[in-house]
Amino acid sequence: MTLTLEQLDRDEALLESIAILQGETRAGFLRKAALGSAGMLAALAAPARAADSVSDVDILNFGLRFERLQATFYTQADELGTIHKMPAAKQRWAEVLGAHERAHVRILKKILGDKAGKRPFFDFHGVTETDDRFTRTAVAMEDLTVALLAGVTPRVHDRRLTAALFGLLTTEARHAAWARNIVGTTPAGRSVDEARTLDSVRGTVSRTHFIAAAPRMTSRRSRPRFTG
Amino acid sequence: MSGERRTRAQALRAGVTTSAAVGAGVLLRDWARPDASAAAPSRAQDVRILRFLLVLEQAQSAFYDAALRSGTLSGELLHFAQVVAPQEHDHVAVLRRRLGASARPAPPFDFREATTSSAHFRRAAIDLEEATAAAYIGQGASLTRDAVAEAAGIVAVEARHAAWIRDLAGALPAPRPADPARSPNDVLSDLRTKGYLR
Repeated sequence: MTLTLEQLDRDEALLESIAILQGETRAGFLRKAALGSAGMLAALAAPARAADSVSDVDILNFGLRFERLQATFYTQADELGTIHKMPAAKQRWAEVLGAHERAHVRILKKILGDKAGKRPFFDFHGVTETDDRFTRTAVAMEDLTVALLAGVTPRVHDRRLTAALFGLLTTEARHAAWARNIVGTTPAGRSVDEARTLDSVRGTVSRTHFIAAAPRMTSRRSRPRFTG
Repeated sequence: MSGERRTRAQALRAGVTTSAAVGAGVLLRDWARPDASAAAPSRAQDVRILRFLLVLEQAQSAFYDAALRSGTLSGELLHFAQVVAPQEHDHVAVLRRRLGASARPAPPFDFREATTSSAHFRRAAIDLEEATAAAYIGQGASLTRDAVAEAAGIVAVEARHAAWIRDLAGALPAPRPADPARSPNDVLSDLRTKGYLR
């Protein structure tokens, strides 16, 4: 493989996200990656491939799962008081994003009707409890959402859905830019946003271990975990 | 709410609450739909749509170039223009490449007034970025699949620009849970009314 991670991920959103989500420094993550996390590198380097076999319902359901992850992330940070402790401008940012993600969940559930997938359980491993970790994860998640929507929007078959996804894509891109401005990173790091396949985003989400198979009541903390 | 004297934070909070509380029914109605006048995607239709989007990218390129030449910008606004200008040039290049021999030269623009002060610049930048994002949202679904993919990557960046300049102007960067579409006629007549497009 000739491409390095940095070349694939010029604005470093992905590196950041994976490093943060795995609770490591970026340098630490890179060292580990360089030592031969071949599977992950291969997943990251996987070219966008035709995914005609994926149905619109599959795409919407993955979108719903992802929006539930985001909505729960913001709601939990709100309920734990993490957002309340932030400076006013940042509070407004976190509250608006939370409200939007919850609205996206409602929209997707409505469109899917009885085809909507079951709500998974979430465990954010403490990321929602401190301003710093919450913020960095939010930046990574918003950029990841943009890449997901840029990747799936051309893949849906129903043109009404394509139109709707365009309006959702721009909202998520606004979130990402706003988040980046808040942390002092360039809000628009490249001329054209990267597109990622559903499989590749699924892989990244899975590596965060934010989605649990069952409610986590026996973790280090006795506090009950939240659902989306 | 206590009339007009409420604070900006309260107003924003109210805006968020409203948008979150209206429910999926209203949101679905407000959600972007394919342009009703558009036929099934075709190469010929791509050309019509991409020519329209190219005018908007050309307008933005001309605007940021004029702003950088004017010397009126400093600090964060200057940084914004310096980052965004080359990205708009790239968008022009991408659309020109896709259009090939069907690409048209830029129409005459007038950004003299828009670049006379920071306040004018902010207003014009928001106008242009929002108009361009809404235009892509309105036309995107009527493109052929490869062009949709390209449009998606570009419109995300236009939305990032819109959010960024709104943040610098003290406006809410993401005012709605889903962005609306605008028709070509609406967008172009708006640019003419504002004097940007002659």
